[in-house]
Amino acid sequence: MPAVGLLELGAHLVQAHSVVHESDWKSARDFVVGASQPDDLVTFAPRWVDPIGRQEFGPDVATLQREARPDESRFPRAFEVSIHGAHDPTLDGWRRTEERSFGRVTVATLENPSPVHVLDDLVAFVGPQRMQVSRLDGDHATECAFAHGSPVSGGLGAGPAVPGDRFACPNGGFVAASVAADLAYRPRRCIYAPPQGGKSVLRVRFLGVRLGRTLHGHHGIYVEAERNRTGAPVTLTFKVGDTVVGSVVHNDGDGWKPFEFDTSSLLNSTSATGRADVVAEIESPSGDRRVYCFEADTQ
Amino acid sequence: MTRRTRRTRRTRPPLRSLFELPRRIGWRDHAIGAAVALVYAIWLGLTARSLGFPRDEGVYFRAGTDYVTWLHALWEHGQDALKQGAIDSAWSYNHEHPALMKTLFGLSWWFLHEQWHVVSDASTAYRIPAMAVAGGGLWITYLFGARAFSRRAGLVAAALLGLMPRVFFHAHLACFDVPIMTMWILCVYVHWRAQETRSLGWAIAAGLVFGLALETKHNAWILPAVLVPHALFVQRREIVHALRAGRVSIPTSLVSMAVLGPIVFLALWPYLWNDTLARIEWWVEFHLNHEYYNIEFLGRNYFGPPSPKSYLPVMVLATVPTVTLVLFAVGATDRVAVTVRRLVAWARSLGSKGSSGNRPAGDAGGDNERAERPPRDRRETDLLLALSFAVAIGPFFLPKTPIFGGTKHWLPAYPALALFAGHGFDRIVLAMRRALPDLAGARARWAEGVLVLTVIAAPLAITVHSHPFGLSSYVPIVGGTAGGATLGLNRQFWGYTTQDAAAEYLNAKAPRGATVFFDDTTWDAWGRMQEEGRVRGDLRGAGAPHEAQFALVQHELHMSEVDYSIWTALGTVNPVYVVAHDGVPIVSIYRKP
Repeated sequence: MPAVGLLELGAHLVQAHSVVHESDWKSARDFVVGASQPDDLVTFAPRWVDPIGRQEFGPDVATLQREARPDESRFPRAFEVSIHGAHDPTLDGWRRTEERSFGRVTVATLENPSPVHVLDDLVAFVGPQRMQVSRLDGDHATECAFAHGSPVSGGLGAGPAVPGDRFACPNGGFVAASVAADLAYRPRRCIYAPPQGGKSVLRVRFLGVRLGRTLHGHHGIYVEAERNRTGAPVTLTFKVGDTVVGSVVHNDGDGWKPFEFDTSSLLNSTSATGRADVVAEIESPSGDRRVYCFEADTQ
Repeated sequence: MTRRTRRTRRTRPPLRSLFELPRRIGWRDHAIGAAVALVYAIWLGLTARSLGFPRDEGVYFRAGTDYVTWLHALWEHGQDALKQGAIDSAWSYNHEHPALMKTLFGLSWWFLHEQWHVVSDASTAYRIPAMAVAGGGLWITYLFGARAFSRRAGLVAAALLGLMPRVFFHAHLACFDVPIMTMWILCVYVHWRAQETRSLGWAIAAGLVFGLALETKHNAWILPAVLVPHALFVQRREIVHALRAGRVSIPTSLVSMAVLGPIVFLALWPYLWNDTLARIEWWVEFHLNHEYYNIEFLGRNYFGPPSPKSYLPVMVLATVPTVTLVLFAVGATDRVAVTVRRLVAWARSLGSKGSSGNRPAGDAGGDNERAERPPRDRRETDLLLALSFAVAIGPFFLPKTPIFGGTKHWLPAYPALALFAGHGFDRIVLAMRRALPDLAGARARWAEGVLVLTVIAAPLAITVHSHPFGLSSYVPIVGGTAGGATLGLNRQFWGYTTQDAAAEYLNAKAPRGATVFFDDTTWDAWGRMQEEGRVRGDLRGAGAPHEAQFALVQHELHMSEVDYSIWTALGTVNPVYVVAHDGVPIVSIYRKP
């Protein structure tokens, strides 16, 4: 029994004194700043240490694009900054090429075995230059103007914040780039586009998108609405010209649901530049608690 | 022998005798229990200011104030205060919980802070009754252990109870979780004494204490599941005897509980003086159909039924010091073994009764059986403690029971756990004596003292280190605070860590008049922290992240959505400061770029 007590005491003292020193974080950061490229992923493990990682690595390294990535497929390489021997499970299957220790922080360099080349990220299109938003009621289309205002946010239960820069529809609807928590409470940078409900269709037109062989993306609903599984399904349909590229339905509980459509047949029919306007139409039988968000890219 | 020597012997008794307690448990043991209680309450008091205010505590502060205002009106205006309008206006606030502790919080605030200015922080004045009652819980645990097993067992049990990090955390708060733990074990103890003495006094005390327990928190509803079967078992012979005689015999203590309990309960809760049945029905319905709040367990956010059956065992394992649990296992196993021996002896005695006609006169077999049979405990202490433990944890294996309170809702189980652990320590001492038969006198006492230190040291170190992040702290067997976070166990709830954000960053770094979004912390709590100088008075609260220059998020899994809202609203994903415990983020502080 004394051994149990003393062992527990010893383990407690070791654990309480195993905190990572700030100098270790700084050394790891300096290494990653020097070694990483803009298209590399930088991730922190275990997941709970992410806030400290974001603080210590700062806005140049711990960026919104890396933190709230739709998935890892677009990153050719990753720097996994970890403590306590943790590993980011989303990088399982990646090839570990290098590992450096900085005190209690380990930085592993991993290579993506099959990175995809993103031509255009549609979330980056959000803005008056490259995107148009309208609401369709039958044949009648109402333009949703781009506006600069104050962000709108709240506490728990308020849903994702609406940024100051957004398309505002006359009836109060809006479309903007935001960050939503998916069903696993991971951050997802996406286009916040709540359907209007009924027969109304929210139409988002992305101008001059470089098309590739696939249109790939994810969609989800604000976690608190999604987890209750009482809401109406949301349908997202992509079109290029009159051609329906694909349609996907999100039901509550689906989480951050991936989709992928083959666009190779469109490559010949688009302009010589390989660009075309891509239209996303969002609709749902009910707009109640349909705090919907999607992201897509061309590959 | 010289005269001087003789005088010395007469006037100076041996020093050792001053420290030797009589065999019988008595007032000196109350003095020991009171000393333990006092030390614990003082420790709580000294550390209270460094602990922020969770959401519920702010509600109880306000309720206490309302209730005392009514008592004031009763004192000054008499009959007018007894009109339903006057009662309801004061007692309707937070009528989902009984009034005893809130009234004590209010009285303590009124006298110690407002009138006598003994305590400078109003919040500490509100908290003092809960802290005192927490000390009382250790006192009763000591006394119970001393009577049931040994003084050493009682003392170790009281210490191990107080040195559970979660008990220590909740013991600070002007809430009901530790008070109901104390009232639960007090009720069990008084009931036990009533069974032992069969005196009217203890029976009446059982009724009164049960009423106080009902008036503390609704955990008391299930206390009869502990006390009734135990009383019936203890008094089974009398009951059967009476039934054979055509009478019904009910243990007096149970009658007292059934009569006095509700009277005390109703008398102390003025809100129930009108529309009594309807209001009791509402109260019961409220708790039977309680809302589910978010809580993380093993990396998953639970917000409704079914609750995971593994929640309680995992959380007990992860939050109660392991040495305490091992001692509990040793003590409980020993008592189970004793019970099994009793059952076997009882079964044999039934058999021997059946075959006694064939036994030759003068057969010594009966004597041998008596010699093997463990001594009978007329109070059936093992059964009572086992029921006290099992009934307190039982509801948390039901799928409908919400788990949002973490461990606090089953604290009433912990005194019994600690008592078995205290008995376990007795067994360890016995084993040491057997292993070291030559150890005697002062050396034996030193060895026992060292043994106590080895089982107390880790719980003490863990508990001291856990403060003020008691809800984030996990024991070494799961990897400590970091291990708990890695396992996906809840890190905190109800926004009490905003005070740490102020102490570590905001008070020093925020510009004058800066606006702060404080997430899960209530406005009442924010205001009180400012009044008491815990948060700088010039800082202004903001209702939403986009209205703030600084935004806080208290890290819980489901609070991630607030975190991401802050990213969008403030345009940054990089906190300027992270409050951490053992390197685990507790609160992130963002500053608008």
